[in-house]
Amino acid sequence: MQRLITALMSCAFVATSGAVLAHHSFAMFDQENPIELEGVVQEFKFTSPHTFIILQVKQSDGSTQLWSLEGGAPSALARDGWSSKTLKPGDELQLTVEPLRSGAPGGSWAVGRTKFKDGRPIMVTP
Amino acid sequence: MLYRNSIGAVALAAVLATAVTGVRAHDEAKYPDWSGQWLRTGGIQWDPTKPIGRGQQAPLTPEYQAIFEASLADQAVGGVGNDARYSCFPVGMPRLMSVIFPMEFIFAPKITYILFENNMPRRIYTDGRSWPKDPEATFAGYSIGKWIDEDGDGRYDLLEVETRHMKGPRTFEGTGLPLHKDNQTVVKERISLDRSKPDILHDEITTIDHALTRPWTVTKNFRRERNPSWFENDCSEDNHHVSIGKEHYFLSADGYLMPAKKGQAPPDLKYFKQSLN
Repeated sequence: MQRLITALMSCAFVATSGAVLAHHSFAMFDQENPIELEGVVQEFKFTSPHTFIILQVKQSDGSTQLWSLEGGAPSALARDGWSSKTLKPGDELQLTVEPLRSGAPGGSWAVGRTKFKDGRPIMVTP
Repeated sequence: MLYRNSIGAVALAAVLATAVTGVRAHDEAKYPDWSGQWLRTGGIQWDPTKPIGRGQQAPLTPEYQAIFEASLADQAVGGVGNDARYSCFPVGMPRLMSVIFPMEFIFAPKITYILFENNMPRRIYTDGRSWPKDPEATFAGYSIGKWIDEDGDGRYDLLEVETRHMKGPRTFEGTGLPLHKDNQTVVKERISLDRSKPDILHDEITTIDHALTRPWTVTKNFRRERNPSWFENDCSEDNHHVSIGKEHYFLSADGYLMPAKKGQAPPDLKYFKQSLN
């Protein structure tokens, strides 16, 4: 039975943060200085060892930059109700991400820090 | 003739009796119920009772404390320090027992297997064998175990395991908390169900290693899921972390190398023909 669970629930954030679920260190991402991103999903890679959101982010000059955002393992997200179909190309998202320390367009994303831009909850089926 | 036939009949009967006895040798009633899926109850750090990293207060020698500090410093600027797991490098023992992703136990008469969702399995030989002489080292090591009936009720309740012959490099956790490069590690475990909560499993793990000033004992705890879901979790499927030489890079969304550290140089392309522009 499907039920709506707001991805912003703090317990979901704690349980499914990428760093908590990582098989390796996430220290390459700047956890002390997260940034806000808005963009359009180009691809949601529900693959091992970590899921990726490939996000099209509009720049101030009108160009688009592609961000590579690493998240929790698909098996861990699946246990929280996520699937390869939870996010689709074209979905508009608002995220708080921990960026690569190098400044390159990459970072880590987490369930509890990700929502649809229009405020709709991200629907999962535990 | 009758005498020979009698001897043959007795011999046949003896063989059949042995065969029947052999079938009953693996009496499942003698083993504890460790069926199902086991998930860690703590975080990804080695000692679940303490914070990750320096908070572990690991009993490292001064030499290996310095190696650990260098790992933390590298990670603080975007590097990976001593943690090679980002490139799907095997974690080995004892770090396997952090059970980042679930595990299950399979009992056979002379061997216990631990299957991990995202790692090669462990084999724990319980047939009373001696240590092999100079075996080929592996990351998971060579494990010999012994079942013990602690409370004398006729059923095993404790598995004692010793593991030797590991190869490296290995670390305790993702911060790069190191084990000694001589790979002389010995890991001793006592694995048993909680006395009052049969869906909780404890693994008391003692690591003896030359990077440590003393044996280091931690207890890992796991909860049982009796109706599990298992997922395929193969690190090599789509790893975006690239190791070239001693440097770590991150793949861009369109598949190119990106720096992970500020000011990081690109890889040395000396083996590529490069045009002069």
